Amino acid sequence: MKINSVKIITVLSILASGLWILGLGVMVQDQFFHQATPLPPKVATEAKTNDRTLHLVALGDSLTRGTGDETGKGYVGYLVDELRTKTKQPLQLTNLAIKGLRSAELVQQLRQPEVERQLKQADFVFMTIGGNDLFQGGEALRNLSFARIQQTKAMYLRNLETIFRTIRAVNPHAVVFYISLYNPFKQLNNGKTTSEIVRQWNYDSAEVAARYPNIIAVPTYDLFELHVNEYLYSDQFHPNKEGYKLIGERVASLITFTKGGEK
Amino acid sequence: MINLVYNEMLKIVRKKRLFIIAAIIAVLVGLFTYAQFKHVQEVQKRLGTNDWRTQLQQQIIDTQNRLNSSGISEEWRKFLQIRLQQQQYYLDHDINPSAPGAPTFMRMFVENSIELFVPLMVMVVVADLVSSEASGGTMKLLLTRPVKRWKILLSKYIAMVLSVSFIMLSLAVLSYLISGAVFGYGGWNLPLLTGFAVHGEELNTANVHMLPQWKYLLIELGLAWFVALVVGTLTFMLSVIMRSTAAVMGIMLAALISGAILSNMVSSWESAKYLFMVNLRLTDYISGTAPPIAGMTLGFSMAVLAVWGLAALIVSFFVFMTRDVY
Repeated sequence: MKINSVKIITVLSILASGLWILGLGVMVQDQFFHQATPLPPKVATEAKTNDRTLHLVALGDSLTRGTGDETGKGYVGYLVDELRTKTKQPLQLTNLAIKGLRSAELVQQLRQPEVERQLKQADFVFMTIGGNDLFQGGEALRNLSFARIQQTKAMYLRNLETIFRTIRAVNPHAVVFYISLYNPFKQLNNGKTTSEIVRQWNYDSAEVAARYPNIIAVPTYDLFELHVNEYLYSDQFHPNKEGYKLIGERVASLITFTKGGEK
Repeated sequence: MINLVYNEMLKIVRKKRLFIIAAIIAVLVGLFTYAQFKHVQEVQKRLGTNDWRTQLQQQIIDTQNRLNSSGISEEWRKFLQIRLQQQQYYLDHDINPSAPGAPTFMRMFVENSIELFVPLMVMVVVADLVSSEASGGTMKLLLTRPVKRWKILLSKYIAMVLSVSFIMLSLAVLSYLISGAVFGYGGWNLPLLTGFAVHGEELNTANVHMLPQWKYLLIELGLAWFVALVVGTLTFMLSVIMRSTAAVMGIMLAALISGAILSNMVSSWESAKYLFMVNLRLTDYISGTAPPIAGMTLGFSMAVLAVWGLAALIVSFFVFMTRDVY
């Protein structure tokens, strides 16, 4: 019995050695002597799935990401929580937001085939953009130059136009909620001036949104107007948990479900 | 000669170590299978979908966010950047890098155990191969036979190689059988990408090509076997030099663990790349992860390991043949 097991193990080991040496041989052939033939990109071609799942796509910058909310949910998280209480339909959220994203970068991101595929499936799109364009990480405020802000805004509006056009071209049906800016610097010395700039910025953005069907500009400016410090995170720029809750509730209140399905 | 090798195999099998190793592997594989299963479930719950494209896209976004946050170390940033580009490449070519299935699990298990776990298991068998004869006093009996000394050592070395092969075999078979019960046994023909080259912070995809998973696995297991063999040879040398098995174990353990730690922090100490223990992660070159020190390649690492292994082999034969036994 003992002798047998030794024999079996020895034979198995010899066979295994052969196999592993073969593996090394394949490796040498594959890694060192391989003719390069570039692979063409392949795009998943898949029609919109006809399941009952409601697809939510979130796009944009740190606000959509939820920076400042210690639970990490952000307004999108609270919004989804709220929607779950309203409907029994399964929800699928894809959050594609990237911290510090500017409008030009969002235009780039929308060109990615997978992002496009996600958008195609979407029933609702939520986005925040422009905060980093306007405030440039607080830099623009130190030397408020009217001419420079005008220039930034013109560029931004052009990008926004492209973003909306791209979304509409990819998905003509989804409802897009464009969440506009609030003024985190209201309490500072030049609060009046910055407020004016933000209001004008929001107005012009809303005008762009109005040119497209089913793109809704959601104001947040008023939410933060009275108690701005209570709703801001310690960086004095991003909302805190309470601030995000306010935004989430506001957007959620715009979505109603009827028996037939969405809207 | 065959009889000598057979005799050595008999000793190894009698010690029952191989079975203990198989049992350890089985337990660990069970553990990891469960962990992986939980992880898959959790991701599915969080994203509300099991579409891998959505999951991969979400991973890419998460990585981009991490790259944008301040205060991450330069090395970590580089690592993330490389991984990001690779994930994007997989996504652009519509290939799922982690489709569920036993072969995928095997691949991940081999990739993660090549550095520490496999060498440890090899040590368990090899550490006392020669030293136990010395400390047990059977060495004299062995050497009084009318057989040349080098033949005796060679037979021991061949037995060592065979047991290393057996360990790798049981690792492959057990991880396939156990994880397959949860993830399913299919997936041998899934395409995977290899041939990524890392240049600084950029990922060069000029040589990237597709491999079916079975071939990919065969390559990785071959590499893991090669690593195990080098570690086995080094342990073998120590076992020849030293009488105490515990000392052999201690030295090898220290070397292996220091390797695991060093690979995380040696990027500024360039000559560390000639140490054998930072070169153990050979499978990383196949999958395309950034090496611990810039400029390390598959060929380089294999050459370093081979030199270390050969040197150890020469030293062990030299010491064994010239030593006085009393």
